[in-house]
Amino acid sequence: MADALLEVHGLTVDYLTESADVRAVDRVSFTVEPGEFLGVVGESGCGKSTLLFGVAQLLSPPGEVVGGEVIFRGRDMVRLSQGELRHMRWRDYSVVMQSAMNALNPMKSIGAQFKDTLEGHGSPSTEQIRERSAEVMTMVGIDPEHLKSYPHQLSGGMRQRAMIAMALLYTPQLVIMDEPTSALDVVAQRSLMTKIKELQRSLGFAVIFVTHDMSVVSRYSDRVLVMYAGQIAEAARTDTIFERPLHPYTRGLMNAFPSVTGPRRELVGIPGAPPDLARLPSGCRFHPRCSEVMPVCMSREPELYTVGDVAVRCLLYTEQAKEAV
Amino acid sequence: MAIPDISIADAPTAADVTRAPRRFRRAVLGNRKALVGGVILVVMAFVAAFPGLVAPDDPQAAIYAQNAGPSSAHLLGTTMLGQDVFSQLIWSTRLTLIVTLVVTAIATFLSTIIGVTSAYVGGITDRVLTVLIDVFLILPVLPLLILLAAYLPPGVTSLVIVLCITSWAFQARQLRSQGLSIRNRDFLVAARARGERGIYVILVEIVPTMTSLIAASFLSLAVYVVGFAASLQFLGLGNSSELMWGTMLYNAQQAAALEAGNAWWALAPGAAVALLGTGFALLNYAFDEIGNPALRPVRRRRGRRSA
Amino acid sequence: MADDLHLHEADEPLLTAVDLSRHFRLGGMFSKQVLHAVDDFNLTIKEREIVALVGESGSGKSTVARLLARIYAPTRGEIYYRGRPLHRLRSRKDLLWYRGEVAIVFQDPFSAFNPVFRVSHGVMRNLALHRTDLNAVQRREEAERVCEGVGLSSKMLERFPYEMSGGERQRIGFAQALAVRPKLILADEPVSMLDVSIRIGVLNMMANLRDQEGVSLLYITHDLASARYVADRIVVMYAGHQVEAGPTDTVLTGPKHPYTQLLLSAVADPRSKDEDISADSGEPPRVINPSEGCRFRWRCPYAIEKCSQVTPELRSLGSSQVACHVATSKPEDVSDSAGTASVTNR
Repeated sequence: MADALLEVHGLTVDYLTESADVRAVDRVSFTVEPGEFLGVVGESGCGKSTLLFGVAQLLSPPGEVVGGEVIFRGRDMVRLSQGELRHMRWRDYSVVMQSAMNALNPMKSIGAQFKDTLEGHGSPSTEQIRERSAEVMTMVGIDPEHLKSYPHQLSGGMRQRAMIAMALLYTPQLVIMDEPTSALDVVAQRSLMTKIKELQRSLGFAVIFVTHDMSVVSRYSDRVLVMYAGQIAEAARTDTIFERPLHPYTRGLMNAFPSVTGPRRELVGIPGAPPDLARLPSGCRFHPRCSEVMPVCMSREPELYTVGDVAVRCLLYTEQAKEAV
Repeated sequence: MAIPDISIADAPTAADVTRAPRRFRRAVLGNRKALVGGVILVVMAFVAAFPGLVAPDDPQAAIYAQNAGPSSAHLLGTTMLGQDVFSQLIWSTRLTLIVTLVVTAIATFLSTIIGVTSAYVGGITDRVLTVLIDVFLILPVLPLLILLAAYLPPGVTSLVIVLCITSWAFQARQLRSQGLSIRNRDFLVAARARGERGIYVILVEIVPTMTSLIAASFLSLAVYVVGFAASLQFLGLGNSSELMWGTMLYNAQQAAALEAGNAWWALAPGAAVALLGTGFALLNYAFDEIGNPALRPVRRRRGRRSA
Repeated sequence: MADDLHLHEADEPLLTAVDLSRHFRLGGMFSKQVLHAVDDFNLTIKEREIVALVGESGSGKSTVARLLARIYAPTRGEIYYRGRPLHRLRSRKDLLWYRGEVAIVFQDPFSAFNPVFRVSHGVMRNLALHRTDLNAVQRREEAERVCEGVGLSSKMLERFPYEMSGGERQRIGFAQALAVRPKLILADEPVSMLDVSIRIGVLNMMANLRDQEGVSLLYITHDLASARYVADRIVVMYAGHQVEAGPTDTVLTGPKHPYTQLLLSAVADPRSKDEDISADSGEPPRVINPSEGCRFRWRCPYAIEKCSQVTPELRSLGSSQVACHVATSKPEDVSDSAGTASVTNR
């Protein structure tokens, strides 16, 4: 068994506001193997984006990592200094944000931004910069001519591709992506995801992909982390979770997606709404919306139980978990 | 367009959109500058309301020793005519404050209505009103004054008229900008779509969302008006028999108070004007915080929870 | 109720849009750049039906909603409501009448409410403007009734927008629309900004409005799956033009326009081929000063010469309508009786 590329143990992130401290991520643990595509799914307030920022060490006040470790290539990133992190950034891991328009500098050409990135994390020669920039643009399917273009001159889909190209400049082993397709139209989304998968196969990097879209996760990821209210609700291999979802929330989510094919049937969705993290329900955080709620759910907080190769945070499985042990 | 990621940071928190009065109180009490400003204004208001409690002497009684220096009987000395300077100062507070507030209120009202209407209605109306605003902004005040001084009788009424004319445009552009930024918000489109009249939309749907900005405009304008009113009176537009700080300055100037060695008579009203202006300016800091959450201090709580 | 100029018959459509166009001038007063948001759009909505208007961003679908809600006036074309042309509605009374018949719900539950007021404000204003037959007490009762009609407790009316979740706000948006007792609700992407688990609830509520309250809905969306879930008919738009229209099942099981096919394959089963999609990296164009011809031709794998010369018109093909030269040409290429065009057989 190869060593895991990334190991996250008990990561906890709080937002310190003047009225209250809000725990956005609560003791999240997971691993990422080399070359693996991990999908992190959840709705608003589940903490998936905060988790991403926490792992990539990109949190800024009032958000702060208050516990846990993020071990990447044997080093705990939480404890590293900014200088050491800078060494790792882009060479070992890179980040693709949700909106290219927010991440790209509107005043500089794409080529200039690539150059900045390359120089910021290494010392390439002008020739190397030029070659590599053209190389990554071709990889993502954009004509290198566009290195001269400014972000607003490119379409939304092309901008996102440029972001991915930028993330691959130093061929990192891990690329962290925060909903890179959500601002795109459906066809561009599909096209971009296909390209990402292609690149992953050819370059061998691992991906942590945060999204709200279950269909993207079902199609492209190897493993899935379902998050709810700052905690992991269920974690398993993709096929396992889609064939046999264990957590009532996961089941509810599966049922909330109408499909274009297959029989037309009435769906139910999940009543209520994700909780306000400053005012969490007692016991299991999902119990007010759960169709299989039991009396004990209102007072006891479930741990993450292992059932076979699935981790699920639900009191329905306490017995099974004990049996497996 | 699929859902943007609505993380907890995006959803408006209770802190952002709490009711205006509560937010204001919290901002004032939490902000030292605003608190000081508030105190100054409260004191001024008290003095304006109950001058007799502070200075029992008749401010216009010319019965004391002339040009006397400060003493226990006359805290700030006396004028050339033998009036108590301190009494005059205190009793002038009321009219000065009233004029300031009335002018600021009228000017703020005008600039709000014109600015917001201009932004909301758009088109030709917007162009015409913008030109109007610009004209009044660059109006050369002194030539206008000289002109008006020839026709208007000196006194408070003329002062109010002149001040209103020359200061309403001050904030109109800013309020127009704000109006432009929200005119396409869905709730305004919805109001039009359900058939509301334009006037209704402006007064009921738009203006209430701008209360912070209007209040901040009011305070900024008040600072300006306080100083400008005093300046105009100093230049002779006021009626020297009216009790205002500006007219005190005028009288002191006419009597060559500084040369005569009666510095307090000349300086005290000026200091009072500065203090009132400062009060308004400091209170305005409360609105900086409300308007721009990024300026709010991040108050860390002592002691962390363990993971 | 205002007198109709035409008699309204039982099976006459509720709303008909004929050759509707809306253009925007870009830049200043003297600019020559004209954005064609919608061109030659035709639509019919009957009573008690949900029509889905599907398209990506820039397709013009939101503009159509605003045209039908009379937020914009059309550059060309006409809208007939119950047989009455809208441009004849001049007086405030007439306009108010129309707004009481056709109501609009917006996409963004966060900006659709004035943050200064409680959510009852919009509902009560709608009642005050359009239900003058009610007195104050009755208005209050009606407000509570529509609130419950959308699945919310009437206590919600007293809340401020920030105290409610996106899904709850969106329901209040529908309640506001219902308060005027409309015959037609224009829902502009009502669930796009909601969490997935909440969308179904709102979609079910919409279907309920059609069944129980007899309200027709124009459901504007980019999501084919949710369109399939609630709509009786689907209209597909691309770059300001209508490209395909027909009963939901017909359009989705046998799409005839290449764009509809592209859309469908982008959302369909995991088992479909990915390679076709990765080849298409194009996006809907912004249509500025367009020339004649089909606006999809640059992305279309089946484009022929005629496509760049003549703008295709909507023509019947089986039980649906398509605007495509290739799909509606050469009847001998038709492979089966459902009228599937040659585009699917190449």
